[in-house]
Amino acid sequence: MFTQQLINGLALGAVYALIALGYTMVYGILQLINFAHGEVYMLGAYLGIIVLGVLTALGLPSFSLVLTIIITLAVSMLFCAAYGVTIERLAYRPLRKADRLSPLISAVGMSIILQNFIMLAQGKEYKYLPPVISFEGFMFFGAKISPVEIFILASSVLIMVLLQLFISRSRLGKAMRATSQDMTMASLAGVNINQVISVTFLIGSALAAIAGVMVTLSYGVAHFFMGYTAGLKAFTAAVLGGIGSIPGAMLGGFMLGLIENFGAGISDVASEYKDAFAFLVLIITLILRPSGLLGRKTIDKV
Amino acid sequence: MFRRNSIAAVLAAILFGMTGCAQQDDQSIRIGAVGPMTGDQSKMGVDLRNAAELAVGEWNEKGGVLGRKITLLPGDDQADPKQAVSIANKFINQKVAAVVGHWNSSCSIPASKYYQDANVVMITPATTNPKLTQQGFHNVFRVCGTDDQQGRIAAAFILASGRYKRIAIIHDKTAYGQGLADYFKQALGTRVQVVYYGGIVQRDSDYKAVLTAIKETKADLYYFGGIYPEAGRLVRQAREIGLNIPMMTGDGVYDPTFINIAGKSAEGTYVTFGKDPAGLTTAKLFMEKYRKSYGEPGPYSIYAYDAANIILNAIERTGIIEKDPKTGKETLVIDGRKMAVYISRTTFQGAFGDISFDKNGDVTRAPYVVWQVKDGVFKQVQ
Repeated sequence: MFTQQLINGLALGAVYALIALGYTMVYGILQLINFAHGEVYMLGAYLGIIVLGVLTALGLPSFSLVLTIIITLAVSMLFCAAYGVTIERLAYRPLRKADRLSPLISAVGMSIILQNFIMLAQGKEYKYLPPVISFEGFMFFGAKISPVEIFILASSVLIMVLLQLFISRSRLGKAMRATSQDMTMASLAGVNINQVISVTFLIGSALAAIAGVMVTLSYGVAHFFMGYTAGLKAFTAAVLGGIGSIPGAMLGGFMLGLIENFGAGISDVASEYKDAFAFLVLIITLILRPSGLLGRKTIDKV
Repeated sequence: MFRRNSIAAVLAAILFGMTGCAQQDDQSIRIGAVGPMTGDQSKMGVDLRNAAELAVGEWNEKGGVLGRKITLLPGDDQADPKQAVSIANKFINQKVAAVVGHWNSSCSIPASKYYQDANVVMITPATTNPKLTQQGFHNVFRVCGTDDQQGRIAAAFILASGRYKRIAIIHDKTAYGQGLADYFKQALGTRVQVVYYGGIVQRDSDYKAVLTAIKETKADLYYFGGIYPEAGRLVRQAREIGLNIPMMTGDGVYDPTFINIAGKSAEGTYVTFGKDPAGLTTAKLFMEKYRKSYGEPGPYSIYAYDAANIILNAIERTGIIEKDPKTGKETLVIDGRKMAVYISRTTFQGAFGDISFDKNGDVTRAPYVVWQVKDGVFKQVQ
């Protein structure tokens, strides 16, 4: 069963990693913990259900499954990116010069607003999605792996590689790195700070949307409260890997997924403490390496 | 919305209070019907009130009980234990003869003590927590089943089938879910082997770790104590990791949403729930009458209807009309103790079949049967 738990853990970790990237990118640039990020993921899940529902009604999945998923992802990413950028404009930009605590409170407020907005607009009930991709998986070294899991793993690895290339190679990526190092200096060097921050929120939210769609494809349900738990786990993953570090978020996400699965799978007594394992490892890591696994050592400027 | 609700609640309270006062003088019999009538569980309370209203209406048409008309006093406990106690006190002040309610276990249990002190009979149509009737109160009855009975029925089914020897048990760590799982485990005894007993986190989305561990134990059935959203995800993910054994679960999963979430993977799932009322002519008659006035009956409406009928029946049999020798005025005297004794010793012909009670006030007949999901719908197995 080792292989099975490994696959379970990697698929779950991929979702955590995608959400964690949004936390870590925003933190890297603004030193802000965007608590509304989990809600963007939740919006992505709802949009996934709505778009897939509409496309299924139109009969597209029987025509082309790949096209259906691409359209769903595109619409969900577009909407969530718009939400992310708008959240930054409304809730964080006016407070950029304020004390560090103010945008944090604003983020918590944004999270509550989005949660209740979805509750009122979509209802308190669980939204469900009938299975779109067939369950019939195949055997892989004694473990059963489903097409959804392959899709989650493959696409998340691809996205992470693309993101890494974007940050390290492109002009905008360079501007992002410059902004995260020193915002004032970057702006003096001609970097459009507002644009860079907007792009950061746009990318982070689009990644959360992908995670949301993947989760609905895999688990088939969405709930207005789902962003809270997932956001907390992804934030843990970001801290575990070292907040502010992009490879750290990826590593942290996969690690968290694996720890949870192997931890809960040890015995039946352990199953009740699934969440405890993740936080135990976090505490130990933070005691030994306060800046996380791949985090930069912060040097206090004197 | 909150404000509008509270204004409505105040108006309703004034209105009901007034009717209560107005009827102090007349000779009508007052029956309380209480449950959550506002908030997210409001449908449950309204189903209860409608069914009780239907029963009262039928008695009134026949001329009432012992020549007296019956008035139904609705109460809204908002599924809140504090509110439930205050409604209980209000009912007692209004001198109700008996109460149909409450809905939630958390409301029925604290309220029952006040009814007991005031000697008022209460019959709950929906509270399944076994503790309610274990308090030793003479006045408390329930017409639905209990979670321990449910666990027993499920265990008996598994033992009788002979097909399932290795059982895994999981629960959602709530009072209902874990309680049900524990009663089930207890009832299984030693004839089959419990190979796994663990908990999952409610609202978590991924249960594959636990399911993989169950797969490793080579169990041939898993029991789940919990509610339909988790159950739907469990059976779906079980199929994904290739765990092809059936799930068995309780009344909390008896909801079409379960099948909607799980799709084809719900097929074969066993659920314990009440008998199919459609098979009984009396139940069919009730459902037709209910539909005519209120629309589709809720899952527990028929229980509330039977509870109201039992109460009115008991009043008719035990009520005494006393005549004042001086004024010649006749008053109806209703004694809660005599009513309770009568109810506990009698078999009633309810819309949902014969009802009799054991010494605790629980129904004696096996109230649960095993259902199974077949072709996308719940079907009764036996």
